[in-house]
Amino acid sequence: MTIGPDWVVLDTNIWIFGLRHQPEQPACAQVLQHLPQLHVKIPRQVRLELQANPRHEEMRAFFRLLHRHAGQTDLRWEQVDLSRVRTYQRLGCKLGDAAVAAHIEVLGIGTLVSENRDFLYEIRGLPFRVLRAADFLRELGEVE
Amino acid sequence: MLPQWEGDRVSLHLNELATKIATLDPAEQEALWEKVAELNFQRGLEALAQKYRARLAAEGTLDQTADTVMAELKKLREEIAADDYRT
Repeated sequence: MTIGPDWVVLDTNIWIFGLRHQPEQPACAQVLQHLPQLHVKIPRQVRLELQANPRHEEMRAFFRLLHRHAGQTDLRWEQVDLSRVRTYQRLGCKLGDAAVAAHIEVLGIGTLVSENRDFLYEIRGLPFRVLRAADFLRELGEVE
Repeated sequence: MLPQWEGDRVSLHLNELATKIATLDPAEQEALWEKVAELNFQRGLEALAQKYRARLAAEGTLDQTADTVMAELKKLREEIAADDYRT
């Protein structure tokens, strides 16, 4: 049996804090520096949020960059079934977080990297683990 | 455009570099190309981040705290999801 790479999802806040070089969140920029070693899926909700942040030409440059790692970056455009989203709303997620959580579950992803406190501390019973950027980097250090 | 002598120097340098790379075994060459791709990616990412930060600085929003940025991202998330999943 072949074991494939472990795909992860980076929440929008990781991308944005990383690109901004947010002083309080230095680990986010470091996570982005590790992208060539990672296998990253970008769910529809995260993709839509990213498209709303940097300007159009910045996003084009960003996606061009990601396409250089086509085998390791998977942009997902499909919408998740609303009933799956509702399941996560019942767990306490707001609609947007529920859309992200549902998509992660459907994609079979085991790890979400996020600085979102709701995901990190508030919601129980998620079928994937949520790691802060610094903790994710620590894990990468153990693997390397 | 490079002057002729500078172009010749770069061409010579590239030839020397290619000759050295050709002496590496296939596994080493593959590792080298991966490293080059990684460095190119990191440079591209840094260039993009610099451009993004310069634009935010010009707009006066680069100094926003992480909490402020996070609050805006959460608001945006709800707006997008409400639009995407409106029934």
